[in-house]
Amino acid sequence: MDASSVRIRFTLNGQPRSAEFPADTTALKLIRDVLKLKGTKEGCGIGECGACTVIVDGKAVNSCLMLAAQLDGRTVQTIEGLGSPEALHPLQEAFVKEHAVQCGFCTPGLLMSTKALLDINPAPTRAEISKAIAGNLCRCTGYRHIFASIEDAAHTRKEQT
Amino acid sequence: MSRLHYIRPETLAEALDHLDRHGSRNRILAGGTDLVVDLRNGDARPEFILDVSRLHELKGIDVTPEGVSVGAGVTLSEIQSSDVLERHAPALRKCSFTFASRQVRNVATIGGNVAHCSPCGDTVPPLVIHEARAVLASRRGLREVLVEDIASGPYACSLPPDELILRFILKPAADVTFADFQKIGRRRELVIARINAAAMARQEPDGRLSFFRFSLGSCTPTPHRMPEVESCLDGRVPTAELVWEAGRLLAERTIAITGRRPSTIYKEAAIHGLLVRMLHPLVTS
Ligand SMILES: Cc1cc2nc3c(=O)[nH]c(=O)nc-3n(C[C@@H](O)[C@@H](O)[C@H](O)COP(=O)(O)OP(=O)(O)OC[C@H]3O[C@@H](n4cnc5c(N)ncnc54)[C@H](O)[C@@H]3O)c2cc1C
Ligand code: FES
Ligand code: FES
Repeated sequence: MDASSVRIRFTLNGQPRSAEFPADTTALKLIRDVLKLKGTKEGCGIGECGACTVIVDGKAVNSCLMLAAQLDGRTVQTIEGLGSPEALHPLQEAFVKEHAVQCGFCTPGLLMSTKALLDINPAPTRAEISKAIAGNLCRCTGYRHIFASIEDAAHTRKEQT
Repeated sequence: MSRLHYIRPETLAEALDHLDRHGSRNRILAGGTDLVVDLRNGDARPEFILDVSRLHELKGIDVTPEGVSVGAGVTLSEIQSSDVLERHAPALRKCSFTFASRQVRNVATIGGNVAHCSPCGDTVPPLVIHEARAVLASRRGLREVLVEDIASGPYACSLPPDELILRFILKPAADVTFADFQKIGRRRELVIARINAAAMARQEPDGRLSFFRFSLGSCTPTPHRMPEVESCLDGRVPTAELVWEAGRLLAERTIAITGRRPSTIYKEAAIHGLLVRMLHPLVTS
C-alpha cells in the first residue's frame, strides 16, 4: 500500500533515535528492516508466537502488532540492549548455563518477556513465570530448561543483592 | 490508490473534527492488536489511521455517581490490576486473566475489544451483565448506547464512523455475593473462546437468589443476556436440579438462536456443563 511518511523520535536501548518510514510500517519492520537490528524475530506476524517481543516503556509487547508510529516518544528495549557477546546479561548467562537454547529463534523474545517480568517482580513463582511467558512459543526445548534458567537467574540476582 | 496517513490528535476536539471530516475513510487505532492484523491481511484499507491511544479522556477506571466508569482506552493489563474492578465488577476483572497473552494484554484495550465486535470478545459478557452503556462522542455531541446493542452481527459494528467510544458505564454490582467469568477454548493459554460467559448473583442467607444476571458469548452471533435463564433462577433457591434445568434451558435457547449445526452436538453439552459448573458454588441442597 502507498503510504505517506511518518517521522518519530524515541529512545532505543538507551540512545535517542529518530526514524522516518511509511505510515503502515510495523514496529517489527522498523526494528529489523529500517534500523537493521536483526535480534528481534518475526515468527507468525500476528501476535501468537512472541518471537517479536520487545519492551516498550517497561512492558513486554508484540512488535508485530504495533505500528512503528506508536513508538514516538517511547522508550524501547530490544535484545541488542540486553547484553553484549563480551558481557552477557545474567539472564542470557542463565539460558546458556541451563541449556535453554536450541535453535534460538524464540530466545530473544523469551528473554525480553522475562526481563520485563523480573524488572517488576524479582522473585517470581513458577506460576508467575508461566503467566509471563505464555505468549512465547518454543518448538524445541519443551520449556523445562527455560523455567530452570529463569528461576536460576532470579535466584542469582537475589543472592547478589 | 490513495495514500495511508497516520494521525495522532493532541486533543479530543481534534480527534472528533478528523472523524467528522474523514470518518468513512478512517480507522481508529487504540492498541492495534486487531487493526494491525487487519491491515496486514488487507481486511482493512483505510486512508487514515487515527491513533487515540494517548487521549486522556479515554483513560482511567473510576467510581462515579452514574456507575463504574471504565475508559475505552483502558488496557486489559490495567483491568487485571484494578482494585476498583475487583470490588465493583469482579467478572470483568476475571476475564482479563485468560485474555490472550501478557504482551497482548499490555496494549489491547476494552474499547477496541467491544468495537471489533467479535462474537468471542471476552470483555463483552462481563460488560453486559452490568448493563453497561458506552458513552459515544462525535461533533454532533454525546450519546449512550447499551454495549449489547453495539454489534449488529459478527464483526459488524453498528456505530457510525464519526463516533468514538469514550468510556463504558457499568451499573455497580450492589451487594453481589457471587460473580464469575468462564471460558472454554481449545487449550489453556492464548486461546480465543469457543464459549464464554459471565454471571453475577446476590444470594440471601436462606439460599434464595434475590438478583441474578447472566450473559453468554461466542455461541450466538452477538453476546447478550439470556432472560429465560435469568428468570429461571431469579428469586429461587438454586438446588442442583434447578441449576441443571437452567443449563438445559440455556443450551436450548442458544440452539434456538443459532439453529442446529455440526458443532451443536458438542456445544449443547458444553454450554449445559459450563452453566452447571459455573453456578456450582451457589448450589444449596
Ligand atoms: C494473539 C491474540 C490473542 C487474542 N486473544 C484474545 C482473547 O483471548 N480474548 C479476546 O476477547 N480477544 C483476544 N484477542 C483480540 C484482542 O486483542 C482485541 O480484540 C483487542 O481487545 C482490541 O483492542 P485494541 O486496543 O488492540 O484495538 P485496535 O486493534 O486498535 O482496534 C480494534 C477495532 O476497534 C476500533 N476501535 C478501537 N478503539 C475504539 C474507540 N475508542 N471507539 C471506537 N472504535 C474503536 C478500531 O477502529 C478497530 O476497528 C487476541 C488478539 C491476538 C492478536
Ligand atoms: S511475530 Fe509477533 S507474535 Fe509472532
Ligand atoms: S529454541 Fe527453538 S523455538 Fe525455542
